[in-house]
Amino acid sequence: MMMLFKLGLMFAKLCVFAFGGGYVMIPSLIKASEANHWATASELTDVVAIAGMTPGPVAVNAAVGFGYKVAGFPGAVASFLGIAVPCALIVIIVATFFFKIYAHPKVKAVLYGLRPVITGIILYAAVSIALKNSIIGAVPGKLIEKGFNISALGVNLFEVKSVVIVLTTFLFLKKTKIQPIFMIVGAGVLGVVIF
Amino acid sequence: MLKKKFKLLLEIYIAFFKLGSISFGGGYSMIPLIEREVVEDKKWVDKQKIIDIFAVSESLPGAIGLNSSAFVGYSVAGIPGAIFALLGNLTPSVIIVLTLSVVFMKFNNNPSVKSAFRGIYPAIVGLVAYASYKMGKTALEDKACIGIMIVTFCCSMFLQIDPIPLIVSGAIAGVVISSVKMIIKARRNSGVIMQEKEKNF
Repeated sequence: MMMLFKLGLMFAKLCVFAFGGGYVMIPSLIKASEANHWATASELTDVVAIAGMTPGPVAVNAAVGFGYKVAGFPGAVASFLGIAVPCALIVIIVATFFFKIYAHPKVKAVLYGLRPVITGIILYAAVSIALKNSIIGAVPGKLIEKGFNISALGVNLFEVKSVVIVLTTFLFLKKTKIQPIFMIVGAGVLGVVIF
Repeated sequence: MLKKKFKLLLEIYIAFFKLGSISFGGGYSMIPLIEREVVEDKKWVDKQKIIDIFAVSESLPGAIGLNSSAFVGYSVAGIPGAIFALLGNLTPSVIIVLTLSVVFMKFNNNPSVKSAFRGIYPAIVGLVAYASYKMGKTALEDKACIGIMIVTFCCSMFLQIDPIPLIVSGAIAGVVISSVKMIIKARRNSGVIMQEKEKNF
């Protein structure tokens, strides 16, 4: 019961990120998971994968998936409410004052500092997922099966097949308008073949 | 009285549940559907107001479909209306997430599924990296911004600092740096003005 409350509260704190930048939640989720022994890093990545495949905002999907992993259906509901209810309130409050505050120089100044921070955190999220899934800097004993690692001076730098997929995905997203869900499915099919 | 209000909230929830389940294209696909449901069928909002709602929803951060849903809900039944509308809109995708989660948990130990995920994880890395890149294009206006981003990344990566302190610091830094920029600009301008005055003198 306590856990459900914790879950709901955690997502209430993160609910702001449901607005464009859902991936910002990832490092917080990883930390909370490890601190509470709720889920492993690869289970978390599964949640993010499912969240990316499903229609709807990533943050909400990730919240629900995470809640389910941790505490079944009640967990999913607690997380969903935790993130969606404050969201509704924020939309209303922001909209009410929106036009008054948006052009205000102080608000612009805050956003000016805020956006690079979000960029940095999301970048860290990507690196973090790569590290935890042994795509880069793999620790012996946690190597990817049927992977091929390039090492230097006894340290594993990165796994070739995975890095190729990372780069390909990034390029496709940059150059084409293919929806992410197709790339995830495609990567899954590729995974079956090359791993 | 209370029962009537609850009935209305339920109606809102169901209406937006319907909307949420048919508009999977995302983006603007929900707009005409919302209009048909809210203006023509339910007559909750009139034509002029819905256009205003769409306009504001579009300028706010976040998905236009979700913002509009919250707004319409709010105009019909205040804050509870906004909440129920949003919950209704999101429920279909939540159902899909849960279904996929259950399915994946069942097939977790299948070797083919494991291999598939070894391909999917890197794709996720690429996806998240791209999200960062896309945000960076608008966020990194000048060198100060790039500096902030690098500091944030290092703090997260090497010092394991939580996002929320970083975000608060970023907001403060934004205000401080903007003020400094303005002071520098003012000094430069007054320097130019002084030079102009000397020339004319």
